[in-house]
Amino acid sequence: MPLIEIKNLTRQFTKGGETLTPLDAVNLTIEPRDFISLMGPSGTGKSTLLNLLVGIDRPTSGQIVVHGTDITRLSRARLADWRAAHIGYIFQTHHLIPVLTAYENVELPLLLLPLPAAERRKRVEIALEAVELTDRADHYPRQLSGGQEQRVGIARAIVTNPTLVVADEPTGDLDPRTAAQILKLIQRLNVELEMTLFVVTHDPQVAAVAARRLHLDEGRLIEAPGADPVPA
Amino acid sequence: MFRFAPYVLKCLWRHRTRTGLTVSGTAVALFVFCVVTAVQEGLDRLTHSAGAERTLVVFQENQFCPANSRLPEDYAPAIARLPGVRDVVPVGVFTNNCRASLDMVVFQGFPSQQLRAARPLELLSGSFGQFEQQPDAALVGRAVARRRQIGAGDPFTVGGVTVAIVGVFASEAPAEENFIYTHLDFLQRAPGRNAVGVVTQLEVQLAEHADPDTTATAIDDHFRHGPVATTTRPQGVFQREVVADLAETIGFAQWLGYACLGLVFSLIAATTVMAVQDRIKEHALLQTLGLRPLRVFGLVMAESLLQSLAGGLLGIAAGLLLLSWWGFSIGTEGVAIALQPSLRLAVWGGSVSAGVGLLAGLAPGYQAARTEIVPALRQA
Ligand SMILES: Nc1ncnc2c1ncn2[C@@H]1O[C@H](COP(=O)(O)OP(=O)(O)OP(=O)(O)O)[C@@H](O)[C@H]1O
Ligand SMILES: [Mg+2]
Repeated sequence: MPLIEIKNLTRQFTKGGETLTPLDAVNLTIEPRDFISLMGPSGTGKSTLLNLLVGIDRPTSGQIVVHGTDITRLSRARLADWRAAHIGYIFQTHHLIPVLTAYENVELPLLLLPLPAAERRKRVEIALEAVELTDRADHYPRQLSGGQEQRVGIARAIVTNPTLVVADEPTGDLDPRTAAQILKLIQRLNVELEMTLFVVTHDPQVAAVAARRLHLDEGRLIEAPGADPVPA
Repeated sequence: MFRFAPYVLKCLWRHRTRTGLTVSGTAVALFVFCVVTAVQEGLDRLTHSAGAERTLVVFQENQFCPANSRLPEDYAPAIARLPGVRDVVPVGVFTNNCRASLDMVVFQGFPSQQLRAARPLELLSGSFGQFEQQPDAALVGRAVARRRQIGAGDPFTVGGVTVAIVGVFASEAPAEENFIYTHLDFLQRAPGRNAVGVVTQLEVQLAEHADPDTTATAIDDHFRHGPVATTTRPQGVFQREVVADLAETIGFAQWLGYACLGLVFSLIAATTVMAVQDRIKEHALLQTLGLRPLRVFGLVMAESLLQSLAGGLLGIAAGLLLLSWWGFSIGTEGVAIALQPSLRLAVWGGSVSAGVGLLAGLAPGYQAARTEIVPALRQA
């Protein structure tokens, strides 16, 4: 059974009487442990697709069925609960909360789940270890480098052990060396932690490590035929 | 919800200058509100006290200032014989100031044996025995003692009357604590008073089933053609009429108190709106992580509430401390309105600041909860 089925997904924007259709009846099936990359020219609707996938945007029409539930029909509150339980989001700019330490930022999504404090602590420690930031746990975002901030963002995205981890240009703001480190880390999420990944990127190197490579252009989604991913 | 308490506190702490200013503004406003409410409470207490209904005050007709009411002392036995009357106490009142004042000194002279029965006083120092033996002895209320910094053993002079203080008392009725009790005949003979055989008022205790109005009318009718005509009213009514002018001012001040709450509302709302607008992205992020809109609303409300409560409690604490240290009273024509700290005042002030904080958080909280996630995250 597929993890996620996107059926005839359309998203239109109307601005000043003009209608824009970045997504036009898109179909996609995501299997557990898939590693999908999505490329395409700027402004084609990659972020839009990703935001629909995690339920922070609403489609004009179509369905997104996750585990048999069409999330496009959930209320805002139910959708929030669903995200808390199933989604990890890695942003281009990390979006850490400045008043919280690295540790507290990573712990934040766990506060929404019915977990005892000890279990939360354990999970945060594991996540920080996975991104090799255990020694920076008490640092505030302003005391971290861009790459470190991004790693905290990744730890926060994986700490709940989500069904799907999405990333929107996760290396877009980083220098090539740091970007390479982050890429390795993302790859490990898929290979070692067996997480399902959906990564939007402009970077061919990022796309190259994904098992499935998608291309979005003119509202259509095209999958590159079964090229083998670059080994980790 | 408490899991997010550290986050809320840290957000407030991060903008501590802004938070501090808001909290101190709220504190000042609630301080004013507290004092103004204390005055209103004092007034209510005065006119609705236990004795207010069952005690009649006989005064010279058309007079309110104690200096101008001069009744023959032998009205007392005459009144005592009227139906419905249980007891009559002639009282001489002497005050330094008939106008509204924050430092009114009022002497009330009682027949030596009748003070204890007429006034339930609790002596904090000195003894009734000494009071009864010494002709120029005086018992002073706690509030006057504090205000004038006098105590047992001190002489005390006001307006040519000098008494020897033999004790300080507390009373269940806070207004009483602004009085100085002396012997009636001492006050009558005081230099320049020219009041032998004359009293200022007569206090009439009603018999159990007597109707206050009927008895009052009976007393006034009895003296209509006497040497001095009287006006008799229940004590509450009498005091209300004496302080009527003051009450108007106090009523107006109460509106200023409410205006202070309006100020707090604007202040907290402005700060919270700012905090929300600063953090549109952060709230969008929290929602992306899975916070329900209602929860985001709750976080904003908590921020608003904490600020108003912190400021409110500070202001009220300051107000109550001031009231309890100073023993303030507002007096006019021999009647004192005592400003007292009270639990009621504290609870009321606390609830009012909480209420204002919650109200002020509504609009910004709603704004934060309604944030469209994607556009907010896209903002640079
Ligand atoms: N709220 C909106 N109102 C109107 N148009 C919008 C809105 N959001 C996105 N768009 C338009 O939809 C199109 C797709 O936007 P989207 O951000 O998904 O592109 P993208 O592929 O992620 O681009 P990039 O690679 O530059 O990030 C763009 O043309 C954008 O201008
Ligand atoms: Mg994009």
